[in-house]
Amino acid sequence: MLEGAELYFRVDHGYLEGCKASLLTQQDYINLVQCETLEDLKIHLQTTDYGNSLANQTNPLTMRKRLCGEFEYFQNHSLEPLSTFLTYMTCSYMIDYDSADEWCLQTKSVKEIPGTCHPLGPVNIAETSSDLFNAILVETPLAPFFQDCMSENSYLETFYKFCKNHGDVTAEVMCPVLEFEANRHTFINTINSFGTELSKEDWETLYPSFSKLYPEGLWLLAQAEDFDQIKSVADHYGVYKALFEAVGGSGGKTLEDEFYEHEVQMNVLAFNRQFHYSVFYAYVKLKEQEKRNIVWIAECISQRHRMKINSYIPIL
Amino acid sequence: MGTPLERSSRVPIGCPDKLGGATRKKVAPDSNGWLSLAKARYAMGAKSVGPLQYASHMEPQVCLHTSEAQEGLQKFKVVRAGVHTPEEVGPGEAALRRRKGPAKTPEPQSSEAPQDPLNWFGILVPHSLRQAQASFRDGLQLAADIASLQNRIDWGRNQLRELQEKLKQLEPGAA
Repeated sequence: MLEGAELYFRVDHGYLEGCKASLLTQQDYINLVQCETLEDLKIHLQTTDYGNSLANQTNPLTMRKRLCGEFEYFQNHSLEPLSTFLTYMTCSYMIDYDSADEWCLQTKSVKEIPGTCHPLGPVNIAETSSDLFNAILVETPLAPFFQDCMSENSYLETFYKFCKNHGDVTAEVMCPVLEFEANRHTFINTINSFGTELSKEDWETLYPSFSKLYPEGLWLLAQAEDFDQIKSVADHYGVYKALFEAVGGSGGKTLEDEFYEHEVQMNVLAFNRQFHYSVFYAYVKLKEQEKRNIVWIAECISQRHRMKINSYIPIL
Repeated sequence: MGTPLERSSRVPIGCPDKLGGATRKKVAPDSNGWLSLAKARYAMGAKSVGPLQYASHMEPQVCLHTSEAQEGLQKFKVVRAGVHTPEEVGPGEAALRRRKGPAKTPEPQSSEAPQDPLNWFGILVPHSLRQAQASFRDGLQLAADIASLQNRIDWGRNQLRELQEKLKQLEPGAA
C-alpha cells in the first residue's frame, strides 16, 4: 500500500465497520439453544440484527438473500482494487464445488444442476456449458477457469496470486486463509472419495498447486487409501496434525467441524489488523458460518435432538 | 386340534412385547438418519441436500416381498431390487436344450441394480450422508419386521376372539 494510503483507506473502503457488530454473540446463541420450538427461535432472532426479516419464514434462503443484499452494498460502493477482490469472492459461489468437479470428470450438463447455485453467482439461465461461458462468464474473472476446466482449486490459486501480488496486510491475511481453504477441500474430498469410482489419476488433477501441501503432501494424499493414511500425511503439518488429533474429542467433533472451527478463528483474527480487504472476505465467511449455526440449531429443535444442539461453532 | 380352550391357549400373545421392542428399535435408526441428514446439510449447504437434487426418474432400491406362512399368515421381507427370491428363479422360457452345443435360447438377464441415490448429491458426498442412508436402510428392514409382527398379532387376536365365542357357545346353559 502506498505511503499515507492508510489515511484514505477508511474513506474509500471503510464502510464495513459496524457490520461486524451484526454477528450473533455468545449470549444470542445461549438464548437460541434454549428455545423449545421454531417459533421461539424466530422470536429470539427478531431481537438480533436479523430483526423481522425472518418473521414470516425461517429458511436458509432468506438468510442468504439478506447476506447477498449486504454484499451488493459493498460491491456498489467499492473502488478498485477492492472491486476485483469482491468479484473474486463471488467466483466461488458461481459454481458449486462438487458440480465443478463432476463437470470436469463427467461433462455433466449445466441444465442438470437447477436451482442449486448461490444467489451471489447465478448460473441458472444457461443450458449448456458453452452457453454458460458465452453468456455470463466470458467477461468475468472466472472465464479463464472455464476455458480449460472448471476447478475450485484453479480459482483459489488465481485468487491467491491476486492477493499475493497486491501485497501488504491483505496478502499477509488472505494468503494463509486461501491456503487453508484449498487444503481443507483437499483433505475432505480425499476422504469423501473413498469408495467412489474416482481413480487416483483423476484425483490428482483436482489437487491445488499452491499451499504447504504442494507437492509432496498432495502426492502422499493421492496414494492414501484410508483415513489413517490421510492422518499420517497431516501429521507432517503442524496445523493439520492438531486438527486431526482433535477429531472425536469433546462433543464428538468431526474433521469438518474442526476445519470450520479453525477457519472461524482465522477469519475472526482478520479483524485485528487494519487497512486491508480481508475483512470483507472474513465477514462473509463468518456470516455463512452463522447461517450454518442457526440452521443446525433449528434442525436440532425440530428433530428434538437436544443432546447435539450445542455442536454449533461459536464465532464471537 | 384340541378343544377350543386348549386351542385358545396356543394363540401367541407374546408378540405385543416383540412389536413394542421392534417399534422402539425402529425409532433409533430413523432418528439417527434424520440427524445425519442435518449434518450433511451442515457440511454441504442446506440447498445441496434436498428435493432439488432428486433425480427426475427414481427407481426403488428395495422391494417388499410378501409370502404366506402355513396358517395363512402374511410375512413381509425387504429385498434389494434386482435380486430375485428363490421362488421367482426359474427358466424364463420353455426351450429344448441340447446336450451339446450352445443353448438356442438366451439365458434370462438379471435386472440391473438401480443407481445409488447418493449419486444425486455429487460424487464426493460426506460421510454423514452415507450414514443417513445406512440408518434409513436399517429402518426399512425393521419396518418390514414390524409389519409382519403386527400381522401376526392381528391374526392371533382374531383367532382368540373366534375361539372365545366358540367357548361361550359350548358352555353349559348357553343354549
